[in-house]
Amino acid sequence: MKVSINWIREIIKNDQCSADPMPDGIEALVEKIGAQLGAVEEVIDIGKKYQGIVVAKVVKCQKHPNADKLSVCLIDDGKAVKKVKRDSKGMIEVVCGAPNVAAGQLVVWMPPGVAVPSTVDKEPFVLEAKEIRGVVSNGMIASLQELALGDDHTGILVIEDTKSKNQTSNIKPGMPFAKVYGLDDYIIDIENKMFTHRPDLFGMLGVARELAGVQNMVFRSPKWYLGDKTTGSHKTDAQLLGAKNEIPKLVPHFMLQVVKNVKIAPSSMEIQSYLARLGVRPINNIVDITNYLMLETAQPIHAYDYDKVKGVSSGSMAHIVVRQAKTGEKLLLLGGKVVTLEGGELVIATNKQAIGLAGVMGGAATEVDKNTKNIILEVGTFDMNVTRKTAMTYGLFTDAATRFTKNQSPWQNDRVLARAVDFVIHESGGLPARSIYDLKGSLKPAPQVRTTTQFINERLGLKLTASQIKKLLENVEFKVQASEDALKIDVPFWRTDIVIPEDIVEEVGRLYGYDHLPLELPKKDLTPAAVNEKLTFKDRARQILLAAGANEVLTYSFVHGSLIEKAGQDIKDAYHIRNALSPDLQYYRLSLTPSLLEKVYPNIKAGSDHFALYEIGRAHIKNVLDKEKLPTELERLAMVITTLQNPPNWGAPYFVAKKFSDYLIQKVGIKSAQFNMLENVKKLPRAWFIAAQAFEARRSAVIYSGDNIVGLSGEPSLNLRAKLKLPPRTAQAELDLAVIQGLAVKTVDYRPLNKFPAVEQDICLRTATDLSYGELTDFVMKTLGRISDDHGYNHWLSPVDIYQRSEDKSRKQTTWHIVLSHPGKTMTTAEANKVLDKIAIDAKAKFKAERI
Amino acid sequence: MEYKNPEIAEVAKQLHEKFAKLKDKRAILRAAELTALYDRIKTLPPDERASFGKEINELKKELESMVRKSVTSNLSPVTSIDVTAPFDMNVKPENRPKLLPAENGSRHPLMTELDIILDIFYRMGFAAVESRELDDDYHMFGSLNFPKDHPARDEYDTFVTDEDLVAPAHTSIMQNRVFKSMEIPIRAVIPGRVFRNEDLDARHEHTFYQLEGVYVDKGIHAGHLVATIRAWLSSYYEREIKIKIQPFYFPFTEPSFEFAASCIFCEGRGCNVCSHTGWIELGGCGMIHPNVLREGGIDPAKYTGFAWGFGIDRLVMLKYNIEDVRHFHSGNLKFLRQFA
Repeated sequence: MKVSINWIREIIKNDQCSADPMPDGIEALVEKIGAQLGAVEEVIDIGKKYQGIVVAKVVKCQKHPNADKLSVCLIDDGKAVKKVKRDSKGMIEVVCGAPNVAAGQLVVWMPPGVAVPSTVDKEPFVLEAKEIRGVVSNGMIASLQELALGDDHTGILVIEDTKSKNQTSNIKPGMPFAKVYGLDDYIIDIENKMFTHRPDLFGMLGVARELAGVQNMVFRSPKWYLGDKTTGSHKTDAQLLGAKNEIPKLVPHFMLQVVKNVKIAPSSMEIQSYLARLGVRPINNIVDITNYLMLETAQPIHAYDYDKVKGVSSGSMAHIVVRQAKTGEKLLLLGGKVVTLEGGELVIATNKQAIGLAGVMGGAATEVDKNTKNIILEVGTFDMNVTRKTAMTYGLFTDAATRFTKNQSPWQNDRVLARAVDFVIHESGGLPARSIYDLKGSLKPAPQVRTTTQFINERLGLKLTASQIKKLLENVEFKVQASEDALKIDVPFWRTDIVIPEDIVEEVGRLYGYDHLPLELPKKDLTPAAVNEKLTFKDRARQILLAAGANEVLTYSFVHGSLIEKAGQDIKDAYHIRNALSPDLQYYRLSLTPSLLEKVYPNIKAGSDHFALYEIGRAHIKNVLDKEKLPTELERLAMVITTLQNPPNWGAPYFVAKKFSDYLIQKVGIKSAQFNMLENVKKLPRAWFIAAQAFEARRSAVIYSGDNIVGLSGEPSLNLRAKLKLPPRTAQAELDLAVIQGLAVKTVDYRPLNKFPAVEQDICLRTATDLSYGELTDFVMKTLGRISDDHGYNHWLSPVDIYQRSEDKSRKQTTWHIVLSHPGKTMTTAEANKVLDKIAIDAKAKFKAERI
Repeated sequence: MEYKNPEIAEVAKQLHEKFAKLKDKRAILRAAELTALYDRIKTLPPDERASFGKEINELKKELESMVRKSVTSNLSPVTSIDVTAPFDMNVKPENRPKLLPAENGSRHPLMTELDIILDIFYRMGFAAVESRELDDDYHMFGSLNFPKDHPARDEYDTFVTDEDLVAPAHTSIMQNRVFKSMEIPIRAVIPGRVFRNEDLDARHEHTFYQLEGVYVDKGIHAGHLVATIRAWLSSYYEREIKIKIQPFYFPFTEPSFEFAASCIFCEGRGCNVCSHTGWIELGGCGMIHPNVLREGGIDPAKYTGFAWGFGIDRLVMLKYNIEDVRHFHSGNLKFLRQFA
C-alpha cells in the first residue's frame, strides 16, 4: 500500500482539523508507522528525481536556422540556476523540438547537469550544454514522458495548460518544478498484509486519520465525507436509466448517477500528479477521477459510457442491473480478455447482457473512451467473499477487488458519489442528471461496542484511565461515552473491522503504542511441565543411531508419483495434492524407505562410499484413519545402509539391515524381536503390506515382537535397485516408531557381577540346512535355560559361526559360545559339559542334530 | 565404442585400461586425459571443433555409463536366506556386518536445534505437543477464526488434497486440540513440519519447521507475551535480547503482532544479516482471539491467553550462517556431517 505524505498532509489540514503529520521528519514518521501501523517496505523520495529542475518562461521562440522542426527559445528562469551560459539580459538559449512550444509559456526546464527524471531509475541520462545543428542548447524543455509523469511525448508540458488558474498565479520562473504539482513528496510503501482487516487503510483518508491517531493528534474527516447526501429519482429522468439491484444481500448498497455532456480530455496536471506518484497511469479525466477517489477514500468507482450501455440494452432505454451471473454467460473485459462465467459471480448487466464483473473489472463494451459524451457513475458495495472468489477464479487481483475483499463500508457510497460528480463537473464540464439512484438493502448500522477500562487494561497490562482511552479513540473519530469504568463506544462507519471488545483493545493498544507494554513474565506455580514421551523417545533413537555412525536426513513428505510406482506401490493409496507445485511433490509418501533410497546415488556420485542414512518421519495412507477420523500419522523410522564394496564372501546385505535394526531394538530394551521372512508372511496389515513393496520378499524380514509388527528389514526390491542406481550392497529397514516406543523399556536388566569363575565352552551342531537358525537357537536357548534354572546357573549364549561345506549343501553346522557360572561357587568344566551334553542329546532327539 | 578421431580413439583406449585398474571407478570421470581432450578443442581450427567436441561428449557418456554399471552391476541373485540368523553362512567374523564408526554419525541440525529450543521452553514450564502433517480445514482455518471464503485465507498458500485435507501451513492447527485436552493454566509449545505452496529457492522452502507456543490463564496480557518471547530468546542466545513488536493481522489473535529480536550479530548497530536495521524479524504473535478460545472450550470472559510462532529453519540458518535453505532437505552428507 503506497502512501503519499503530501496527500496525507492535505487531508489532515482540512475544513475540520489541522495537524502536521510529520512533525519530526520522515525518519521519525517511518519508525512510528513501523511500530504502530505496519512494516514499511520502502520509502521513496520523489522530490529527489526533480532536483535542479525549475519552472521557466519562454520569452522568445524562433525557428532554428538549420532545422525545420526545431525551435530556438530564449527562456527566463528568474536567474535561479547557477553556472549556465546566459545572454546579456540573463536569458538562456535552449533548442526545443516540440511543435507546441511558444513564447509566453511557462515550461519545465531541465538545465545542464540534471538527470532526466524518466531515466533516473534505470540508467540516469545527465544533460549537458550541447550543440544542435550549430546552436548550443542549454539543457532541455521537458515533456510529460521525460518527467516520468505520463506517456505523452508529443509535446512539452506547458504549465499554463492546467485548469487551476489560482495555482498558475503562484508559479513563477525559477521555482523548483517539484513544488508545482506536489512532487516534493515521500511515498511510503507499507506492507499490505497489515491491512487485511482494515478497509479504511486502503485510502489516503484512512491512513491520514491513522497517522494522526498514532501521534496522539486529533483528526477530523473533511465535511464532504460526513453527513448524508440527498438521493432520489426525478420525473424528468423517467426515460434516462432503468436501474435495478437484484441482490441487495450481496450488494448492500448500489448507487448510480448519469452525467451528460462530458468532455473527455487528459486530466488536470494536479490529478495526474497524484496518480503518477502512487503508480497509477493517468488515462483520461473520467477514468482518472474514479481512480483518484478510490485512492483517496478506498471506495472503488466505475464509470460507464452511457450511450454504449444504451446500445447494449434492449428497448429504448439504458439499463443497469446488478445480479448474479448465469452459468456460461460470456463477458468481454477491459483489456480484451473474454471470460465464460461459472455462475454466481456478481455482474453488472443491462437488461440484455453482462457488461462488467462487479467489484473486480469493468467490461470493454461500455468503456469510457475519447468519444464518450455521457457517462454513468457507479458506486457500489460488493460482498467481500463473492468478490474474492471471482478474483481468484479469474486471476484478476485488481485494485478494486483488493479493496472490496477488505469489506468496504456501505455507508460512504452517497458521499463518494457526490464528490465524484463534483469532480466530473469541474474536470470535464459535464451536467449531472437530477436522479441519483440509490438501491440498497437494509444497511447494518455501525456497531456500538460496550466494554470497560478494566477489560482493556487487563489485556494490555496497562493502567489507562477512562479519559485517556476516550481521548485516544476520539482522536480517530470514535464516539466514546465513559461513565466510571464502563465505556460505550460508537464505532465510525468506515471501521467495519471493529465488532467486539477485543477489537477495541487492539485499537487502544496500537494508538497508545505497544512500546509502553509492561514487560513482566506471567506468574506460575512450581508444577513441572508434562514430558512428551514421543519426542523424548525419538531423541533416544537419534542418540542410539548417532552412536552407530548413521546420518540423520530429512526428506520431503511429498513424493513424485513415479517414486511410488518404482517402489511397487499404488498411487491410488496415496493422498494426492491437487495444487502441487510440481509433479515432484504430488503425493503424500506411503512409506519412508523409497525417499531415503533416492538420496543414495547422489551421495555416491558426490564421493561417499559407505554410509547409513536414517529418517524419523511420517507416512500417510488413504483410509488408514485415526481416532479423529483423520489420516493416521504413521510414525516411522527408516534406515538405508550402503557400501560400494561387495566381496562375495561378505554374505547377503540383508544381514547389514538386520544388524542395524536389531541394534536399535536391543538398545531400547526389546528382547523378544523375531525376524520372519517376508515371503512367508501371508497376512500383513495394509500399511505394512504397502511398505513391504519396497522390499525384496525373499531377502527381507518382518520383525515381530509378539503380535506387534515392529517393522521391515532387508534388501530393496530389484526394481528399486535398478531404477535408483543402488549399489548391490544396499540394505534398508522401515520401523514402526510408535510400536517400538510402546515396547521399549526405560530400565536395564541388571545381573550382579560374578564372584566365582565361569566356564566357557563352544558347542557345534550339524543340522539340515533348512532348519532355521532361529528355531534351532531358540531350542538350544530354552534347553540351556531350563537346565541352568534347575541348577541355579547363570548362563549366556552367543553365536560363533554358521558353516556349510561346499560339497554338502543339505547340511550346515552352527556353533555357539556358552558361558556358565554359579553365584555361590566356582563352576567346573564337568558341570558345564553335562549341560552341553544334555543340549546335544535333546537336539538330536528333536532335530536329528549331530554334535561336532 | 569406435571413435573416428584417432586422437580420441587413443585416449579412449588409455582410459579403458586405466578404468580396469581403478579401485574407485568414479575417478575415471576426473581423469587428466579427459580434461586434456576438452582443452584441445580451442586449439583446433573452428570447422573441426564441433565434430571433435561431439566425440569427446560421447566418450564422456560412455565413461559415465561404465561408472554407473560398476556401481549397480553384479546384482546378487535373489536366493532365499535364513533371515533368522545373525549373519550369513560361511562368513568369517571379520567380514560380518558391523555398525559404522560412531564418528561418522550425525543428527540433523534442525532436530538438534529443536531439541535445544524445546529444552528452554521445558525449563520455563511449557509442555511440548507434536503437530500433524495432514489435517482438515477445521483445524487449519475454521477453529482459528477464519470464516469460510475469508480473504485472510489467501495469505496461507496451503496444499490441498483431493479430499480437501490440508498440508498444515502452521502448527496452530494444534491449538484447538491443546485447548480441549489440557487443563488451565495451559502452557504448551507445538513443534512441527509445515508446508507452504511456495517455489523453491535459496531462501524459500515449501517444507519447513515451525514452533508455536500458547499460554492461557487468568489475567494473561500482552506484556506477558513480549516478556516471555524475550526470556526464551535471551536464554537461546545466552545474552540479553531486545524485542520489538509491530502491529499485524492474524484472524486467530487480537491484537496481533510480528516480533523481531535485536540483531545478535551486530548488537543492533546494523549489519548485513539484519539488512542494516538492527532487527531480525522472527515470527508472529498476539493475544488469542476470544472466538478461538471459545471454540476450544475456554471461556474468554474468564481467561485470556497469548500465542506466538516462528520458524526453526531460519534460526538455524542464522546460527550457522547457512547460505541455502535447500540444504536441509537435500540429504547431502557433505552438509549433514558438519553437524554433530
